[in-house]
Amino acid sequence: MSTEDQRAPRSLAAALRARDDTSLAALLRARPDLITPVPTDLTQLATRAGTRASVVRALERLDRFALQTAEALAVAGDPATYAELLGLMAGDARDQAVADALPGALTALREQALIWGDEGSLRLVRTARELLAPSAQHPSPTGLGPSVREATAGMSPGRIQELVATAGLPSTHDSVSAVGALTALFTHRKKMAALLAKAPADSVDVLKRLMWGPPYGQVTADPAARLRWLLDRGLLLPTAPGTVVLPREVALHLREGRAHRTAEPVPPSVEPVATHRPQVVDATAAGQAYTTLATVEELLKDWHEGGPSVLRAGGLSVRDLKRTAVALDVSEPMAAFWVELAYAAGLLASDGEADERYAATPEYDEWLERPPADRWAQLAQAWLAATRTSGVVGGRDLKERALSALGPGLDRSAAPEVRHRVLTLLAGLPEGAVPDREAVLARLRWERPLRGPQGQQSPQGAQGQQGQQGQQGQQGQQAAQGPQGDDDLRARLARWTLTEAELLGVTGRGALSAHGRALLGARSAPRPPATASPTPTPTAQDDPTGRSGPAGPAGPGDKLPAPHRAAAAGSPATPLSPLSPLSPLSPPEQAVATAAAARLLAPLLPEPLDHVLLQADLTAVAPGPLRRPLADVLSVLADVESKGGATVYRFTPGSVRRALDAGRSASDLHAFLTEHSRTPVPQPLAYLIDDVARRHGHLRVGAASAYVRCDDDALLNEILADKRAAALRLRRLAPTVLATLADPAALLEGLRAMGFAPAAESAEGDVLITRAHAHRTPPRTAPEPVPDGPPVPDTTLLTAAIRAIRAGDLAATTPRKPTEDAAPLAPGELPRTSSAETLATMQAAVLTGEALWIGYVNAEGTASQRVIAPVRVEGGFVTAYDHTADEVRTYPLHRITGVAELADD
Amino acid sequence: MAYVNGPLIVQSDKTLLLEVDHEQADDCRRAIAPFAELERAPEHIHTYRLTPLGLWNARAAGHDAEQVVDALVQYSRYPVPHALLVDIAETMDRYGRLTLSKHPAHGLVLTTTDRPVLEEILRSKRVAPLVGVRIDPDSVAVHPSERGQIKQTLLKLGWPAEDLAGYVDGEAHPIELAEDGWALRPYQKQAVENFWHGGSGVVVLPCGAGKTLVGAGAMAQAKSTTLILVTNTVSARQWKHELVKRTSLTEEEIGEYSGTRKEIRPVTIATYQVLTTRRKGVYPHLELFDSRDWGLILYDEVHLLPAPVFKFTADLQARRRLGLTATLVREDGRESDVFSLIGPKRFDAPWKEIEAQGYIAPADCVEVRVNLTDSERLAYATAEAEEKYRFCATTATKRKVTEALVRRFAGQQILVIGQYIDQLDELGEHLNAPVIKGETSNAQREKLFDAFREGEISVLVVSKVANFSIDLPEATVAIQVSGTFGSRQEEAQRLGRVLRPKADGHQAHFYSVVARDTLDQDFAAHRQRFLAEQGYAYRIMDADELLAGEA
Repeated sequence: MSTEDQRAPRSLAAALRARDDTSLAALLRARPDLITPVPTDLTQLATRAGTRASVVRALERLDRFALQTAEALAVAGDPATYAELLGLMAGDARDQAVADALPGALTALREQALIWGDEGSLRLVRTARELLAPSAQHPSPTGLGPSVREATAGMSPGRIQELVATAGLPSTHDSVSAVGALTALFTHRKKMAALLAKAPADSVDVLKRLMWGPPYGQVTADPAARLRWLLDRGLLLPTAPGTVVLPREVALHLREGRAHRTAEPVPPSVEPVATHRPQVVDATAAGQAYTTLATVEELLKDWHEGGPSVLRAGGLSVRDLKRTAVALDVSEPMAAFWVELAYAAGLLASDGEADERYAATPEYDEWLERPPADRWAQLAQAWLAATRTSGVVGGRDLKERALSALGPGLDRSAAPEVRHRVLTLLAGLPEGAVPDREAVLARLRWERPLRGPQGQQSPQGAQGQQGQQGQQGQQGQQAAQGPQGDDDLRARLARWTLTEAELLGVTGRGALSAHGRALLGARSAPRPPATASPTPTPTAQDDPTGRSGPAGPAGPGDKLPAPHRAAAAGSPATPLSPLSPLSPLSPPEQAVATAAAARLLAPLLPEPLDHVLLQADLTAVAPGPLRRPLADVLSVLADVESKGGATVYRFTPGSVRRALDAGRSASDLHAFLTEHSRTPVPQPLAYLIDDVARRHGHLRVGAASAYVRCDDDALLNEILADKRAAALRLRRLAPTVLATLADPAALLEGLRAMGFAPAAESAEGDVLITRAHAHRTPPRTAPEPVPDGPPVPDTTLLTAAIRAIRAGDLAATTPRKPTEDAAPLAPGELPRTSSAETLATMQAAVLTGEALWIGYVNAEGTASQRVIAPVRVEGGFVTAYDHTADEVRTYPLHRITGVAELADD
Repeated sequence: MAYVNGPLIVQSDKTLLLEVDHEQADDCRRAIAPFAELERAPEHIHTYRLTPLGLWNARAAGHDAEQVVDALVQYSRYPVPHALLVDIAETMDRYGRLTLSKHPAHGLVLTTTDRPVLEEILRSKRVAPLVGVRIDPDSVAVHPSERGQIKQTLLKLGWPAEDLAGYVDGEAHPIELAEDGWALRPYQKQAVENFWHGGSGVVVLPCGAGKTLVGAGAMAQAKSTTLILVTNTVSARQWKHELVKRTSLTEEEIGEYSGTRKEIRPVTIATYQVLTTRRKGVYPHLELFDSRDWGLILYDEVHLLPAPVFKFTADLQARRRLGLTATLVREDGRESDVFSLIGPKRFDAPWKEIEAQGYIAPADCVEVRVNLTDSERLAYATAEAEEKYRFCATTATKRKVTEALVRRFAGQQILVIGQYIDQLDELGEHLNAPVIKGETSNAQREKLFDAFREGEISVLVVSKVANFSIDLPEATVAIQVSGTFGSRQEEAQRLGRVLRPKADGHQAHFYSVVARDTLDQDFAAHRQRFLAEQGYAYRIMDADELLAGEA
């Protein structure tokens, strides 16, 4: 093994084997799909890392520069030298910024196991190469065509000789060397320049049109002279009848060696466009946070006695959403947001009854009891982690089904990651600084170009259109390259994030608030020393090379529309980066952060008041939030007319009646108003209460399910007096009428038992049964976020996985000492020895402490190979330290197929 | 500590609550008055509302969004929702993207500073017939006759146009205020000034605050021929009387254009009624507008402006227009037409403020509730829906209460106001007082009014003809026995009857007699809410209490 370390690795597996545990851990953290399930050894790990699905995933997570690097590698030789790659990336002009950033990008690519090999022979993983290299089927994002060798593959040797001759090269006798000569000419800057200098001007124009791609053009059967000149020299090569392509080498010459029109080594910076005083930001955000609580409470209060029904397909009907929006006095998308927020926080759910409806959960009642800041923090935390996105409500899914609030299909796995990333960018700015929305979006696009429509393709797309105006048309790469019709999901998520953060009060006036910062787990940015001046570094402060990309757990596994996928497949890879300090937090860390946020927010929330102002126009104004008991009584006694920082209540005869119905007497109400009013109770209001009270209860309504009617009062007296009638709970309503809650049948029965002979009357009376209030679902858990792909493993899991892989690798690759007179084992075959021999070897190993390689068949009959160090052999069992499983295990001897000693080295 | 303890609370529904007892309340009121409409002014917390119209009014008056936002942020007790600030900026930004101006070749042109807006409005079907040729990408010709129409339409589309096309001076005519022994009050001067500076617009003043003088002041500013539109003939005479008394104008210079007389003089007072008379589908009196080159058009009681007059007014956009009213509340909700056709609100003073300055009398408002008798209750319950109000409003019990009140205020000038003629006749008979109603001739009316003014008669029973513009300076008690359902502006007018400043500084009394537990009470509640919102606290009394106090 030591020898192997010295030599250049010959395969990805070998390269992986040479990496240390830390570096393997980084790989697994970046590509968690590789350890689900844990591979048995490094060869398997390498194989898995090379599968198309995994590579596509990894490529999608690359930032733009790493992706460009990978794209360049895909058009470079295989393997490529560092110098060659640098040429492609930095151009002949040797762009210094690119040169500086390139090693970082390579490190990232290497860490993700997308490339391997040292600087002399950089190799892009084959699958990635296939995905990124230009081919006739799918164009390269670089806009480069096939190489001369590829383009001339189907050409007759005679034709090739002609090309060579016309290009002014000595003729050769075999096509291979001819193509080689041609390639050499095209890649030689000086000679090529000389050749092109001789070209007619309009021919050069043609080349220029194709230079940035797409490299294909159309020609007629009888090409014009300027094209003929190019075709004769191989500067354009035919690919199919009527189609020509600009060979890669020629294009690169024209581009001065650059694979991309613009390499983007540095992420676009997110600069503040405005700065507010942090106090203003925090206060605004706190105000909005308070509104959040009020809105959620109002929503659930509205649904207090049973919310809207659940659609058969799940979710809230459009009409119910509209009604909710009206009730909350917000737009429908906002209503959808609040509903989803409450749902995500586990405050509302479907009650699961036959006639399914939405209702508050028991959790809601607990939530109500908490201090306001905690309530907010709980909502904000739920929002941060939720994969359900209200933004898509009202849209349609791929099957053209409408997406409804609370309904299925709202999960967008990328949401938490984008949310976190956007907020992190905000957190990178000084306090109170507001970034430009577009700059944030540009930054996100840079970090995940493959997830965005305007990857670097767009410049070429534009170019392509110009090319089209020429006589050469272009082959339909446009479709593949053009922006995907659908607005890019990540950009939309980012926009929603900014809007929702403002709504929730995570941001205020567009800047991240102090409690918002705490929610992210960030240390609060240093307050500017002088209160007013903003901190001097206005840029987002993650390191430029470093994609502090959320090497995040929550992979965006969105359901991409098909065109999206195609485009995604067409490209490259990423650098992975050291986890940014603001990577999403683990649940315990988040809990701490949330608590910190609540602590910061608490003093900013308005203190509940215990008084209102009463006015003669029969209104009461609460100049701030009210203490809950006061608010509860007032909301019964008066109608809310206007909400916001203050609340305006209006007293109407209806509302006063409601309070009387709720069991309060007029004098209670007078006392209540006098106690809580800062101002004298206006006479009209006092009069109103008395006036309503005067009429209240004049008419009485009650529920009875049966009555006894008799013209003879005396008989009724007798019945009432009878002890046996007690169970019937009869009540006298009038001299000749008794009523009871017992049902008519029971009443009849009872009276008959007492010796009367009652006759039943037709049961035409209305029976009023009061229903229990406060409809609640059974206990419900909040919906789990749906990340795509497995979560990022924690350190414990990673260490274990790596140890397991290493051990497996050890088992699979350690040379074994051939047992005498046993046929050498085929790879993967289990060692076979007689049981006596097994026992003897084991016992010897216990004494020497050696590790052994065993074949083992488990209870299910699955065979495996393991490396164990026996500790004890007794009672038909061997107890041993299992290197493969990294723990001490006990194996029944009879299940061990055989044993072999490990080779010495 | 995060909150400045400001006097203002900005609600999410765009109302602003101002705590009047706060030390900064006055500053704050001044800061927000230009752009927010005072909606309610009860004793402790005043409610203002932000409306697009109000914000555009502010723009028209030269305020910008930044001032508005600053004012809100500065005085607000709680953080102002960002969305609201954005919304204000956006709304205000819509004003002035389009401007109407004069063009040497095309007459009137509509120009824009924002081409897409022009494209958008030109695509509207309602705008298309009003505009002419497209002069260049940013401007389009407008038929001068459609100046009002297009302003109205654009306002409805949400892109109010700024009218910079100016005014014609009209035929000059010397008019001076004859300030002998009296002078315009400061707020009246301010109103005239604001109006003149703005060119056209509406002045909102409470009844009794001297709107006629504001009109006279405006005429003295304009010094040109003036057309005055008023609600009825009595009011026309009143104007004439007042103008002769307060200005250099003589009887001969003032013409009356009404059903009975058709005089056209340098200053002509016409009634809405005559203008809107239709014969064979045409309005024969419309030529009045063109009969002279008017330099100023005055609209009295602009909230009563009948819809056809709006149509004519649309054609008068080149003339200066002044609207006078006690309230911009129109029961038909056509406030925006007033804005686009007459002009934005130029001056506004809350009743209470003027009362505090001593220009209008303080008033004691009382609602007296009477009980229906058992037989009346039964009859009321069985009455047809359309008869119900009439039935409860004219209950006999009211008569007793009214008589008791008249007795109580014996010696003071008392007006009894009602809706139903037979009720009034009956009251007149019992109170031994003359009744003025629709059929009373104008001569007879003026005779009675004079007698009342002179104190020869102390009780006058009037129907709704008295709602508007008759000056009854010495009435100190008004008793309202029935009203036009729940009309708020009627209530305002009637209260105005007693609010004229009294020679002896007497307190004014305003009584509404209302039948308990009936529609009458509901309507009364609606009207009184309006009073309370104007800051007039009122009491509620039981009739029994009142009658008992009598006995």
